[in-house]
Amino acid sequence: MQLRNTTYNYGALAKFLHWAIVILIIAQYVIIEAAEDLPDGIEKLSQISLHKSVGMLVLILAIARVGWKLADRGKPVPVTMPGWQKKAAAASHGLLYLLILLQPLSGWAMSSSANYPVTLFGWFQFPALVAPDHDLHEGLEELHEALFAVLVIVALIHAAAAVYHHFWMKDDTLRRMLPFGRKPDA
Amino acid sequence: MTLRPSPAAAGLALAALIAATTPSPAATASTQATVWSTVAASSSIEFIGTLAGGDFTGRFQRFVAGIAFDPADLAGSRFRVEIDTGSASTADADRDVALAGNDFFAASRWPRATYDASQFAATGPGQYQARGTLTIRGIARDVPVTFAFNPAADGRSAILSGRASVRRLDFGIGQGEWQDTKWLGDEVRIRFELALRK
Repeated sequence: MQLRNTTYNYGALAKFLHWAIVILIIAQYVIIEAAEDLPDGIEKLSQISLHKSVGMLVLILAIARVGWKLADRGKPVPVTMPGWQKKAAAASHGLLYLLILLQPLSGWAMSSSANYPVTLFGWFQFPALVAPDHDLHEGLEELHEALFAVLVIVALIHAAAAVYHHFWMKDDTLRRMLPFGRKPDA
Repeated sequence: MTLRPSPAAAGLALAALIAATTPSPAATASTQATVWSTVAASSSIEFIGTLAGGDFTGRFQRFVAGIAFDPADLAGSRFRVEIDTGSASTADADRDVALAGNDFFAASRWPRATYDASQFAATGPGQYQARGTLTIRGIARDVPVTFAFNPAADGRSAILSGRASVRRLDFGIGQGEWQDTKWLGDEVRIRFELALRK
């Protein structure tokens, strides 16, 4: 498997970053939903700490994803499709990149605004993004939840488009991003 | 009574302390160091705890610092600090309520934490160490405090700033599941700055 993108396939690094971020974001939802049902205590604290660490990991992977996208400019040859679909795909990809960066950043700022530390699994501490401020915290909490709702909608459209290409158009749009799916490069 | 660092209260606290601890009236006259009043608005006592491996800082909003200190008369110097345990503030209401609650400071039962020191040693130019007793939740422990004393040129005011480190579990701060130190660290650092005036 090639690290870089090839004529017909996304490279191993792009695939890894894509799917790692998908899995971690789904895990994030499960972790925080479980935490919200817990009474205040050590278990809730540890669960929220895990959510924050995984969130910072998502941020690091999202930065790597965008950075690698800029570094590895060669993309698989585009699948033939109408112009409006290309524009819609480009717009939703741009929005997804923005959302996977903004979602952890808003969570980080949310913790800072309530004077809670953010670490990467306790290995090291990230600096506070903003000063403690109760009203700002309330606003950021709403923003963090609203961004997640938008992320879910855009990601579902993105996934639906991939499935549509795979089963209806029977092209390689989905296969070229699947972890082990690949088409021989000519 | 609401504890606010006021010059009058600090003076009273110190006068009471000196009255209670001075062995004889004769000693008082010869060994009492300069009694300072604390300017509340520019004084702070902060604590730095660790949550899940990260630091967070809080402060006590109400305390009274009775300070008698003279670098030339360490033997006559005294600290008596009273902290309102219900005034721990960390910019998060839930955490503040928890800190004042029974699992932590239990402020309704032990409304004051106190620090009493009467042994002082110079450790460098303008640097000192106090050996004193910190009492929280009725548990007394010897806690050294290192500090710097910086008097103004006219000698009418001074800044006393320093630090200490305590283990919260020595004082029972964190009962039940909160004795766990993986998510809530045992060590709590204390940092203070007192603006003193004659």
